[in-house]
Amino acid sequence: MIRRNIKAGEGKEGFPGARGFYDPEVWAKVTGRARYGIDLALPGMLQGKILRSPHPHALIRNVDLSRARSLPGVRAVLSGTGLGAKPYGIVFDDENPLALDRVRYIGDEVAAVAAVDEQTALEALQMISVEYEPLSAVFDPEEALLKGAVTLHDDFPGNIAWENRINRGEAEAAFKDADLVVEDTYALPSFHPGYIEPISCIAESEKFDGLTLHTALQSPHIVREILAGVLGLSISRVRVISPVMGGGFGGRVYGNLKLYLLAAFLSRAAGAPVKMQLTREEEFTVGRPMVAAMIKMKMALKEDGTFLARQADIITDNGAYSAQAPWVSKTLSERNDSLYHIPSISTRVRLVYTNKVPTGQYRAYGNQLANFACESLIDRAAGKLGMDPLRLRLKNCIGPGDTSVHGLQIKSCALSRCLQDAADAIGWTERKKGRGYGISAAIHAGGSIVFNPDFRGASARARLELDGRVTIVTGEQDYGQGAHGAFALIAARALSRVPGEINIVSRDTILTPFSIGALGMRQTTIGGRAVQLAAEDLLARIRDCAAELAGEEVVPEGGAFRTSSGRLIEPVGIAAFYCAKTSGLALTGEGRYVPEKSDYDQSGYGNIAVTYSFAAHACEVEIDRETGALTVHRFVAVHDSGRIVNLLTARGQVYGGVAQGLGMACSEGYIFEEGRVANPTFSGYRIPTALDLPSIETLFIQTDDPEGPYGAKGLGEIVQVPTPAAVANAVANALGEPVNELPLTAEKISRLLHGWECAD
Amino acid sequence: MKYIIAKSLDGALAALQDTGTGRARVVAGATDLFLQEQPDRLIDISRLPELQEVTLEKGLLRVGAAVTHNAASASGLIWEKAAALAEASTLLGSPQIRNIGTLGGNVANAAPAADAAVALAALGAEAVLFDSPGRFYVKPFAGLYAGYNCSRVDSCREILAWFLIRPAGPGQGSAFLRFTARGALSLPLANAAARVTLEKGRLKEVSLVVAPAGPAPSRLKKTEALLLGSNLSGKTWSMAEESASAEVAVRGSALRCSVEYRRRLIGILAGRVLSLAAQRAQRNR
Repeated sequence: MIRRNIKAGEGKEGFPGARGFYDPEVWAKVTGRARYGIDLALPGMLQGKILRSPHPHALIRNVDLSRARSLPGVRAVLSGTGLGAKPYGIVFDDENPLALDRVRYIGDEVAAVAAVDEQTALEALQMISVEYEPLSAVFDPEEALLKGAVTLHDDFPGNIAWENRINRGEAEAAFKDADLVVEDTYALPSFHPGYIEPISCIAESEKFDGLTLHTALQSPHIVREILAGVLGLSISRVRVISPVMGGGFGGRVYGNLKLYLLAAFLSRAAGAPVKMQLTREEEFTVGRPMVAAMIKMKMALKEDGTFLARQADIITDNGAYSAQAPWVSKTLSERNDSLYHIPSISTRVRLVYTNKVPTGQYRAYGNQLANFACESLIDRAAGKLGMDPLRLRLKNCIGPGDTSVHGLQIKSCALSRCLQDAADAIGWTERKKGRGYGISAAIHAGGSIVFNPDFRGASARARLELDGRVTIVTGEQDYGQGAHGAFALIAARALSRVPGEINIVSRDTILTPFSIGALGMRQTTIGGRAVQLAAEDLLARIRDCAAELAGEEVVPEGGAFRTSSGRLIEPVGIAAFYCAKTSGLALTGEGRYVPEKSDYDQSGYGNIAVTYSFAAHACEVEIDRETGALTVHRFVAVHDSGRIVNLLTARGQVYGGVAQGLGMACSEGYIFEEGRVANPTFSGYRIPTALDLPSIETLFIQTDDPEGPYGAKGLGEIVQVPTPAAVANAVANALGEPVNELPLTAEKISRLLHGWECAD
Repeated sequence: MKYIIAKSLDGALAALQDTGTGRARVVAGATDLFLQEQPDRLIDISRLPELQEVTLEKGLLRVGAAVTHNAASASGLIWEKAAALAEASTLLGSPQIRNIGTLGGNVANAAPAADAAVALAALGAEAVLFDSPGRFYVKPFAGLYAGYNCSRVDSCREILAWFLIRPAGPGQGSAFLRFTARGALSLPLANAAARVTLEKGRLKEVSLVVAPAGPAPSRLKKTEALLLGSNLSGKTWSMAEESASAEVAVRGSALRCSVEYRRRLIGILAGRVLSLAAQRAQRNR
């Protein structure tokens, strides 16, 4: 199944035509001409601003809007009680567009204003008086679980937003019979995707039934449904148009629903378009970062290194409202179990409400958080067994044709090869003294078939244009990851064309087929397969039409058709013929990729995705033993994402994901002080800069996946998953003792080295 | 807001006086200005040629307040005569900030751990200030701070024009080090600068400044005194580390680091920066 190992930068560049091909939008971006949401303006547009709670937890006794309403230039002022909106949510309905009688974190939305300009809107906010009655608040999820802790939501006693228990095999017996049991507790803070463009939107409400929302989203079709529900509009009267996105990384699957809803309500009340834009501080304090996690984990092994069982007790910190946190917690609690053969699993996960920033999702859905715990504990076991951590992993790797402990059906899989190549590339057998080395592996699902069990696939349309070019219409989203370029390469391959002759139309819910959107590594795998099928369908129709035009048999020849008498019929001629014949129509093709229904059962056992991607990361680090400063010198990322569509953009994905993973490992993370975010800026929330990144070597093991287009599979989320653990393992190796908390700041490492305690 | 690009020093001083007390403010780089309250009028002095000069005259190194960090880090004269300042200018902020931010701005902004200011303090720099055309006075560096982020340079009334620095002669050297949580765009968790004079392989003069420790760059006088006469051995630098760590008064924060860690860090940096300055002094014959 493994065809060859392509070293990045050498030889093959991906699908035919990939060399030197750039999606036109790339040029717009690098030359500063791309129009992002922040750049958009409409005639007569108002500016919206939000009044937020200064209290982590309080009752609202009264909201007085009268003074704000009388300020000249103010067009609409809203509070929760006046909206008459139903509670809403993504997994469950625990939020209101504006707080009704209670605020649950510092930043909770209390009132909203639309005015002729931003200054007036801000002035109006200051004229709103709110009477609060502060309540006691809870910030630590373990404290929130204690009996007698203050409850955030009456519908969720004990502050448990969601919980799950999974038992497979005979974990208890396995621990009893094990030769070795290792255990530890791992802690990770909340991480923000840190996209450079803060979320913004323009809402235009129509007088009776209708809304157009301009905002860059990963899943515009799903957001459209939610907005229609809360606003009481017909779904087909809600149109979402996405401008170019300034970074998403999972944080813009649903974006900031509250912002869109408030813009829509304000626009409805004011009768004019309303623009709203989060500030950077708002992004950090009211945006939707990923859950913080505390993972107690225990592993049972045989003396020869065979994995027997894993037990985990996981607490994830939900913040004040849920968004996608239950799904994130689920992926976090399960995905790593399918990376190796582990016959018995016993996991408990609890998602807990606290009076802090509500959480959402970030690239990889928490897989990387649990990966840190799982892969660290494997190194610990290797140490106890006196076994090479690489060999211990290789011994237990899952492989092609396997079904994992949770029922995942592994088709293409080069996991062991990824591990071996990562180790070779970092110099595993010639490790230098004074340096630390770490390795970690990962699995991530490509193309969920259980997100909605009845809607598992994707569709696309293809159209032959009068100029002979082909337009692909898709509901999938390019948000910087290169999906449009990948679709062009896939369609070009199906049509024997060059990718520059393919137009891609997406980002508008009125024009495109329904899609789940850019999440769970769907775009290339599922969306790309639909594009392939649509192009193939179109090709067949063009061929029939060419034969009709020629009045004789035709065979395809380099994007055109050769008749049996030797004439060449070009696509332009076929398009013109069909257009005239039908009085204006174009030849179209449809592609429907409908993956097989899953056997997924009540206990969560069963296949969850069309395919799975794999990776192994390895790195070399050095620690300044006086200050504790950590330097990552070299980083190797080896990926099995099937056939590579475009090597250049594939490498870009890996560089970006590794950079984010290094940020998590070394410097990022929310810092809270009594529920208040202490670092709501990029100067305090330290994403890495170019100076902080090592050289990153990318390698691709090209398996041929039977499901993805021409053997390709996802490379969106997995790129970040093994990174934090690889760094943590390298640091543990350098220190000679385990680490169990991220990020690994110099201060933390200094404490581990010198054993000093913090007095404050 | 009105933004005036000054064409001459006298013109800038006249513009300050014309506007009326407190309503106009001098800027040179203005990289931190947009985080602060905006005055009615800004007078940009960063393009005044006489404030961009670096010269060695009458035994003094004269460095213009409008010299950008990048210009300082590219100046052979500053590297040779005041290496600590060149080093600080090289490490500060980010390429964009170093391109536009100036030494005078770095000092007048009065951030507690401004890198160039820490270097200038250790170099014993003096500041030349004008308050009206032709009228200037010279202030020692330590007198430039009024409190946290509050300078005694009143940029609504006076213009900081030059820094005067005693250039490194034979047996003299200086150095600067910073420790940050991130490679760029990061305020230092700690920084340190030193200037030393050697005589017969021993420390004859020592100036050691660290930050953040209080509102201004903090001179560690006890440690300086303790080191006088010491040789250039590892033992001396360990002694410096221990003494600096004990002497410095620091604060901690949830955002950056604990008191204990900062204390350790400042000690480590003090030992290292002194050793580096001494190596340079040895080479400077």
